[in-house]
Amino acid sequence: MTIEMPVLEQDLEQEMGRPVRLRTQVFRRLRRDPVSMFAFSVLVFLVLAAIFGGPLAAHLTGHPPNAQFANALASDSQPIGVMQRVYEANGITHNPHGSLFILGADSLGRDLLVRVLYGARISLLVAGGATALALIIGISLGLLAGYLGGWVDGLVNRMTETAMAFPNLLLAVGIAVVIGPGILNVVIIIALFTWYYPCRIVRSATASTKQMTFVAAARTMGARPRRILLVHLLPQVWGPLLVYATSIIANNILFEAGLSYLGVGVPAPTASWGSMLSDAVTSSMYTVDLPLALIPGLALLITMLSFNLLGDGLRDALDPKGARR
Amino acid sequence: MRRMVARRLLGAVIQLFFVTIAAWLLFYVIARFTGASPAQRIAGKTASAAQVALVAKLLGLDKPYWQQYLIFLGHLIHGNFGYSYFQDRPVSSILWPATRATASLVFGAALIWLSVAAPIGAYGGLRQRSIGDVVGRGLAIVGMSIPVFWLAPMMAYFFAFEPTQGRILGLSILPTGTTLFPITGYVDLGTSPIEWAYHLILPWITLAVGFAAVYIRYIRTLTAEQLGEDYTRTAKAKGASTSRILVRHVGRNVAPTMTVLLGADIATALSGVFFVETVFNIPGLGWTGVYAIENLDYPVITGVVIVCAVIAVLANTIVDLLHGVLDPRLRRLAAR
Repeated sequence: MTIEMPVLEQDLEQEMGRPVRLRTQVFRRLRRDPVSMFAFSVLVFLVLAAIFGGPLAAHLTGHPPNAQFANALASDSQPIGVMQRVYEANGITHNPHGSLFILGADSLGRDLLVRVLYGARISLLVAGGATALALIIGISLGLLAGYLGGWVDGLVNRMTETAMAFPNLLLAVGIAVVIGPGILNVVIIIALFTWYYPCRIVRSATASTKQMTFVAAARTMGARPRRILLVHLLPQVWGPLLVYATSIIANNILFEAGLSYLGVGVPAPTASWGSMLSDAVTSSMYTVDLPLALIPGLALLITMLSFNLLGDGLRDALDPKGARR
Repeated sequence: MRRMVARRLLGAVIQLFFVTIAAWLLFYVIARFTGASPAQRIAGKTASAAQVALVAKLLGLDKPYWQQYLIFLGHLIHGNFGYSYFQDRPVSSILWPATRATASLVFGAALIWLSVAAPIGAYGGLRQRSIGDVVGRGLAIVGMSIPVFWLAPMMAYFFAFEPTQGRILGLSILPTGTTLFPITGYVDLGTSPIEWAYHLILPWITLAVGFAAVYIRYIRTLTAEQLGEDYTRTAKAKGASTSRILVRHVGRNVAPTMTVLLGADIATALSGVFFVETVFNIPGLGWTGVYAIENLDYPVITGVVIVCAVIAVLANTIVDLLHGVLDPRLRRLAAR
């Protein structure tokens, strides 16, 4: 009678008799998870759509994202619906068969499909930029606070506590009102409200790791603090940081959309999912033409869902027990 | 215990102090360099330089910054938030009814999300990987991913607007003009509790969905963790029923953690309030804030920010103190 070994652990730990690197193990586990892989492919598709989708759709339909087609309004000057053709579209299109608006047009006669695709660009650009900025600030402060301890640690702790005490969105809106709209401003504001999550993770991980013998060994061998921080301490926290980064990106996409929804985000006429939603809702136009609110919202939902699913998958893959929680 | 309470209260006061400094810097100092000065705003565009200077003197804007801050803080302590630029009345008279409306919205929603999430989460923790658990987790991750500013108009469309057109979910089965739920409007609790609840049902559900999702996950993890502990095994061994173990043993141990999370999330919910209130036209803090932002009505914006921060800090403080009451270990720790 053979004793059944847990197959999963066995082949992960051994590969040609050598221990497998943690990173390889994690990616291998992640690849086995169909949900994560599905979410990942949706995200890849989304990035491609953000880069090429907008210009491609604009080229094929002949509708630039911010062009307003006066004829793309029904006779009662309400927006046209899905799969409607428009003739004599402002002289921009000379197509005798009319120009097709696949998802219809908004109340200003702009092509909804083209704008949703361009909106993906803004969402990913702003959220990605803000997340990168937040990670840079958070990791640097976290490493310094955890490694140096003492008053630096105290100062950073007070900073994170104060930042967390504020109602996020509210103050963000306040700052946005004061410093004015603009893509870069939105990136900075969002980063200002997200840096403390990575900071706390890195700080606590660094504080506990620096006690370990291998750090003392490195120091004995004459490694400078900078080398210890970047080569020895930082690689220890990449796992939890990666999980956090996915959830921060998801939240930042929502954050950008929220700010744009409230009219203090990416300035008009640039297409952003948040501002498209708010245009449709505040004018009550979505009660006439539901896709105006439905489509940008679904785009947001799919993006958020993919990031959240991938984040969950990553966390499970990083869990040394390999158990789903 | 008393020392712990004192320390926590002191911490809350310090946090509030930081909040007032940040709000003052942002809306009274930085704002002055980016837009028209408050004196100009109040005196009007056509006012002469002498009139503007007079208003500035009356507002104390000619004094050094630290004095201006102390005056601002002194006014705040007396409940004076200044005068609205747009509505011809003091900010405090705007804020008080708004706070009542927002509190109705947030606490009602919290009740809903807790009562939905507790059974689903506990079941998931108890029967991990069962069909019910998988469905619950799926619902949770979808709920987490729905933007509240999208859910709000969708709820309003499908449950309030469509029925007035005689449709429900696209099916024309209702008589035209049916009012299933009111689309907009708010009735104060004091006026009519039934109308109050009726007008708030859709907003409550809208706000609760995202939090219910997060709480299903919290409760599931916490329950699973507690069920793996020795004391639950002992309880099972002595013959306690599953429901008794869940309520008396697991519930008792999960409650303190849940309280702390709830405090933090009441504060987070104040962000969602912005969107829910504007869509459903509830004259709460979020609605007031958005309206003030559109008009650059700085005194009102400042007031809304400070009231929300006070609510957030208070919620966290109360919850931390409750945590001490619910968790005897903390009391012992504090006594040492």
